[in-house]
Amino acid sequence: MRFGIFLLAGLIAADDASAAGETIVIDPPAEGSVSVAQGLEAWGRIFEVTSHPRCSNCHTGPSDRPMWSGPSYGRTRVHGMNIQAGESRMGIEHLQCSTCHTTKDTDWDNANAKPHSAPRVAMDWALAPPEAHWFGQSSEQICAQLRDPSLNGDRDMLELAEHLDHDLILHWAWTPGGGREPAPYDLQSHVNDLLEWGTAGMPCPQD
Amino acid sequence: MKLTVNGEEYDVDVTPDMPLLWVLRDELGITGPKYGCGIAQCGSCTVHVDGSAVRSCQLAVGDLAGGAVTTIEGLSAPDALHEVQQAWIDHQVAQCGYCQSGQIMQAAALLDLNPSPTDNDIDAAMSGNLCRCGTYPRIRAAVKAAAVKLQEV
Repeated sequence: MRFGIFLLAGLIAADDASAAGETIVIDPPAEGSVSVAQGLEAWGRIFEVTSHPRCSNCHTGPSDRPMWSGPSYGRTRVHGMNIQAGESRMGIEHLQCSTCHTTKDTDWDNANAKPHSAPRVAMDWALAPPEAHWFGQSSEQICAQLRDPSLNGDRDMLELAEHLDHDLILHWAWTPGGGREPAPYDLQSHVNDLLEWGTAGMPCPQD
Repeated sequence: MKLTVNGEEYDVDVTPDMPLLWVLRDELGITGPKYGCGIAQCGSCTVHVDGSAVRSCQLAVGDLAGGAVTTIEGLSAPDALHEVQQAWIDHQVAQCGYCQSGQIMQAAALLDLNPSPTDNDIDAAMSGNLCRCGTYPRIRAAVKAAAVKLQEV
């Protein structure tokens, strides 16, 4: 198994019970229990998530322009207000994401339910790093990126799962509110798929 | 609940989920920040929290976490205008004026981080502040003029 993922194998209970986040369980399958074919099936579901607008709209790669999708926009379009996230990916150079996407422990005024309001979570809003390029990318391209430590934040399978646990901005993708379509499946299922894909050796369609 | 606005400490009896804009206007009588849309689409309620521009309609007073709030009333010393305010007058930016408090606070935050903004920098920083009168060319000119003045100080 690549990346020594079983060094940390075992049940890891998510400890972040923030009001804005869902508690998930990271419980990888036993080594050798997942075939490559099953891993590819899991990857297919993972790609449905990563290519979904709730995820890919903030994984815009070399572009620092976030995207908007939803019932109000007809089709996906560039974020209004001339937003440029800059090298900081948080708009520090121009207009900070946090100017509107305020950081809070609870969604105190149910803003995430309003179609045109700026969503908020209990962590700072930001674009994904340029190397995590998903918007408009193929299944093969995203798969190759996600399994390459030089492109995935130097994460192994368990660290990818923990990233999904800790980064509450990702949890929002499944509970976006405001008539926005949530990412497919649910967060726990996505984590399970990731662990299954990882246990199968992170197979990609192009292998 | 205690909060600091324009260098003064206040003790307000409000619920933590009250938007900062409501606290400023309705509890403290600080009416420079304006209510425009209530959903971070217009920028007229912009204030600074620890120097960063924030839409005060989007921030619960309980989420301030000790951050110091500055409104247009506290942007400069009482007897002197901030260079951005002076540039607003010099360039006769305001028409109806409803958005200008938010515009000026956003511009001041930009110049604090970027003393020599390009046109693109200004457009990128200011595009979240809407002006229904369409004074954008004057806004850009005023920001550039204020940048020059601030570097002379």
